[in-house]
Amino acid sequence: MSAAPADWLDPLPWLDLARVADPSMVERSLRANEPGVREFAALLSPAAASRMEALAQRALALTRRHFGRAISLYAPLYLSNYCPARCTYCGFSAGLRIARHKLTPAELEAELSALKDLGIEEVLLLTGDRATVADYPFVRDSVRLAAARFPNVAVEVFPMSVDEYRGLSVAGCTAVTLYQETYDPVRYEHSHLSGPKRDYHSRLDAPARALAGGIRVAGLGALLGLGEPRFDLLSLFQHATHLRRTFWKGGVAISFPRLRPEPGGYTAAFPVDQKFLAQAIFAFRICLPDVPLLLSTRESPRFRDGMAGVGISKMSVASRTTVGGYDLETVPSGQQFDINDHRGVTTFCAALEAKGLQPVFKNWDAAYREDTASVRAGNARQI
Amino acid sequence: MADGLKLGDRIFSSRLLLGTGKFSSTDAMIRAVRASGAELVTVALRRFHPGRPVDDVLAPLAAIEGLTLVPNTSGARDAGEAVRAAQLGRELCGSPFVKLEIHPNPHHLLPDPIETYEAAKILVGEGFLVLPYMPADPVLARRLEDLGCAAVMPLGAAIGSGQGLTTMSMLKLIIRDASVPVIVDAGLRSPSDAALTMEIGGDAVLVNSAIAAAENPELMASAFAAAVRAGRDAWKAGLMPQSDVAVATSPLTGFLAGGEAG
Repeated sequence: MSAAPADWLDPLPWLDLARVADPSMVERSLRANEPGVREFAALLSPAAASRMEALAQRALALTRRHFGRAISLYAPLYLSNYCPARCTYCGFSAGLRIARHKLTPAELEAELSALKDLGIEEVLLLTGDRATVADYPFVRDSVRLAAARFPNVAVEVFPMSVDEYRGLSVAGCTAVTLYQETYDPVRYEHSHLSGPKRDYHSRLDAPARALAGGIRVAGLGALLGLGEPRFDLLSLFQHATHLRRTFWKGGVAISFPRLRPEPGGYTAAFPVDQKFLAQAIFAFRICLPDVPLLLSTRESPRFRDGMAGVGISKMSVASRTTVGGYDLETVPSGQQFDINDHRGVTTFCAALEAKGLQPVFKNWDAAYREDTASVRAGNARQI
Repeated sequence: MADGLKLGDRIFSSRLLLGTGKFSSTDAMIRAVRASGAELVTVALRRFHPGRPVDDVLAPLAAIEGLTLVPNTSGARDAGEAVRAAQLGRELCGSPFVKLEIHPNPHHLLPDPIETYEAAKILVGEGFLVLPYMPADPVLARRLEDLGCAAVMPLGAAIGSGQGLTTMSMLKLIIRDASVPVIVDAGLRSPSDAALTMEIGGDAVLVNSAIAAAENPELMASAFAAAVRAGRDAWKAGLMPQSDVAVATSPLTGFLAGGEAG
């Protein structure tokens, strides 16, 4: 279980630099033409924290260059909150006595319609860990339903085999998001008490299997707070660059989920404050300028508005983290984590526009895929 | 039209083409398009969103009189995806043009020469006026021309990089040998890059990021328009040759002029 991480992942050679880089190394990293892991480590350092404005300015310029003055939007949709895994930090954890529910196809249709009515065009489908009630065929069929109406369908579910990912891709899945939670094998073991999710290595290799199975984009992330943040962020950086080297056609995206201090909630072993989170996002933008960086509604409106376009290029909006949260308000279901930005689509888009950013809902078209004759016909009819 | 840009059987007076992504709002994009005087604008099929005015880029562009839309296949990873995107683009836009753009790597977005060639073959066969975005490779340019593409669109530098004409020596070869228009696309940062492209004999330029990411996109669009006109005029006027050595006012060989006498 606690086997050493693979060579490509090992953050240890850079960890000291991330902790004690001197100001001159920070300046050099800010000006580097081709920043790599060395510069990334320096930009994570305490010394770099005193150069936040310079980091932000560079992040803004690079985000604008690669993504324009635009923010892509998506919304999560929980398919099921059944979960066989006991994870210390999660609201869906197996031992918790919460209302459990799994969407029927009709309920999923209703949820998709509710999202469509909000103007959403990219949906992220979520479940708990692999469960007999919410298994691979359930996810695949849900993707197929969603893909008939949404150009972009991503999943954030459980690790799968290459063949399963290939099946998802054929069903219309465009992206797979799978957070390693923490890259520290020991911390990982402490946070994942039972269930399939205990397998650190199967999870670690899943994004590579997804790309091998034809999924276009692998979304990575660490649940910040579970492990030592600089260790996790360096590993995340290494994971992203490793995937890019291995799959030259593969897209990589990075999210920044953070365990926030919640009254009465789970206490993070390594709490990450807002300022360090911003620093980490700037460091990723500077060193991986063309990788989409995502921020969810876990964060507050003020933080989200501040980060939009300054490193962050893609955001969720109007999120509900309960099963049936958009349409089926009568279905009892626990939520996975607390939302801190409750603004609706219109209010959030107005905030983006006030910052000179264009909200982009549709940035893909099902017509690109094979076997989409029915979708094409539908699109053409609307005009 | 005295000095038109001829693409297939169509002639355009403006030699500045605009891309329509990356703007802060549809309104800002429309103002930039108008200020540029462009008659051809590319629009990504993946951004077509019929029935959603806040998100759709097609309808407001279609409303501008005298503008020809060029759907692009940006986002396509291979020839199959690009061909499907082109077909749908034609269906929705009614334009004979397609900007063929295939970039399998979603990060650097450099064009795939092999897939581009394969897709161009199919699309020319289907009657499209194909404008292929391509690496600045003189051999590929001739190959695409031989297929029947209406122009070639070699890159000056990577999309959005703002590095200017990093491929200058290859661009000069492409321009020298082409019988179809050469439209330099991608990488241009400043109006002087555009003027330089025209001065070396480029037929047109396509600009997007440099205008969309400017502090004042509308003003930058008109600056690019002026630069393209100036560069074109300079090319027509004929630039004086460059020389590494000073040219003496009294030539060294003047003594040879008088014949054998004396």
